Amino acid sequence: MTTATNLRAVPFARRFMSFTWVVIGIFVVAMIASAFLKPSILVDTLITGGMWALMAGGLALVFGVMNLPNFAHGEFFMIGSLVAITVLRPIQAALRADPENTALKVLGPFPGMIVAVAVGFVAGVLLEVVLFRALRRRSSEQWMMNTFLLTAGVSVILINGNRLLFGNDFQGIRAYWDVPPIEILGVGVSVDRGMVFVIAMITIAVFAVFLQRTRTGRAMRAVAQDETGAQMAGIDLNRVFMLTMGLSCALAALAGAALLFMYPSYPNVGIQPLYLAWFVVILAGLGNVQGAIIGAFIVSFLQTLTVYYIGIGWVDVLPTVVIILILLFKPSGLFGSEVKGVWEQ
Amino acid sequence: MLQLTGVEAGYELLQVLWGVDLHVDEGEFVALLGPNGAGKTTTLRTIAGFLPPIRGSVMFRGAHLDGVSPHRVSTTGVGYVSESLNLFPAMSVYENLLVGAYAVKDKARISSTMDLVFELFPRLLERRDQLAGTLSGGERKMVAIGRGLMPSPSLLLVDEPSLGLAPMATLTTFEALKALHARGVTILLVEQNVNTTLHLVDRAYVLEQGQVVLEGTGQELLGNSHVQEAYLGI
Repeated sequence: MTTATNLRAVPFARRFMSFTWVVIGIFVVAMIASAFLKPSILVDTLITGGMWALMAGGLALVFGVMNLPNFAHGEFFMIGSLVAITVLRPIQAALRADPENTALKVLGPFPGMIVAVAVGFVAGVLLEVVLFRALRRRSSEQWMMNTFLLTAGVSVILINGNRLLFGNDFQGIRAYWDVPPIEILGVGVSVDRGMVFVIAMITIAVFAVFLQRTRTGRAMRAVAQDETGAQMAGIDLNRVFMLTMGLSCALAALAGAALLFMYPSYPNVGIQPLYLAWFVVILAGLGNVQGAIIGAFIVSFLQTLTVYYIGIGWVDVLPTVVIILILLFKPSGLFGSEVKGVWEQ
Repeated sequence: MLQLTGVEAGYELLQVLWGVDLHVDEGEFVALLGPNGAGKTTTLRTIAGFLPPIRGSVMFRGAHLDGVSPHRVSTTGVGYVSESLNLFPAMSVYENLLVGAYAVKDKARISSTMDLVFELFPRLLERRDQLAGTLSGGERKMVAIGRGLMPSPSLLLVDEPSLGLAPMATLTTFEALKALHARGVTILLVEQNVNTTLHLVDRAYVLEQGQVVLEGTGQELLGNSHVQEAYLGI
């Protein structure tokens, strides 16, 4: 609180000399430099970063508002891709029967995504009402540990439920739109990937405006900052928790549905996105949604660099190493607070 | 307006209140006094719905408040300003007030209540866009009271507004409460600052070991020998 109190007294320049801003500065410079050397690095970073931002943003939101480390978050990605492929199949069959149907061709991916978002939202609400509300009513003791175990269990159940009902096969598509790539910065980008980027940006923008400017979004932030204070203001915690969980899972499901052409639907498809979302959230500082969105682009930049210069097998290694290094200096994450670094102790 | 009958409440193994009876009438300014650990804060928490009573009833305008969840208590017209304030530190003063008006749908009413809060605490208008976590203790208390006023409560519960404040800031806070009362808000105030409080309020209760031991107007209690001996050091 002492540093926070002096926030106004700190000169503008010094405030931006903090470790966090130096790290972000380095990444921004590196990204711009990479754009000159090889524009495709920047394009790839932005495209995958947008999707990790959706995953990590939802994870950070749930952690911030509900103090809940959701280790079943990846399974909502899985649900999204499963719903998308299920909805897409009859559409593709109809297209095969009538290849000239342009409306169906253009709108092809969207019904799947819309249904995925709806199913993800309902699944999240159910999870909160059936599981977490019941747990909260019994006891809030050891909340973090208990919810961690519960979500890990939910993850196992959902993965194996999928395996039981839909089999162990990869169910993918080659592309949503089978058209030639478009050129951005001299790089050929498939229309699918361009669409994914646009969807991610629009969703992030809507999500940010929702959190910052609407009454309900403000209520969510209020609950994250002080549950008692929020109740005193007449906010129903149960409703906010329901909405938070639903929204977070809907975002993960949207990511799963949108990335169907890169990640075919199968029971374990959520594992890698889950790890990535956790990388991002730990890097950014637990529970910080804006930080998670910035962090998502940092992680995707590191991934892209690895793919280009080291090899795709190392794709999780470089981000992890960099995150460990950053956490050594700032264990609370880039945008977190109140934890001391190992060197300061 | 507010009527507590035989209220017993506490925390798990520790019962704090042992049958509290008190009432607050429409338009009154009532204080709840007593030493540390007497159960003053527990009484307010029970009224505000954060602590369901073990026995006894809390009635507000003819309806039960016992067993009602805190957000419902707030929407029935009981505002609560807690000891720890429970502000939203990463929100601006303006946003804190807006969240306070969460249950109010009418935009015009929100802005007119906010004008009233800024009129009561001109300091907050200067600090309107500053984060609540960066304010001074006195300013934070103003935000908390302001937020409590946003739903236009008919009864305001205020827990130790003088706690941790410099004498000047305490005075400002008490002045504000007096102004609020003059505007028709009924107030139940918990305080340790016995002398000032008794000069301020219409009526007061003295709570000791979870029970009401004394009741009377401010003047009566100022003249009471037990109050003089135990609280005023006369």
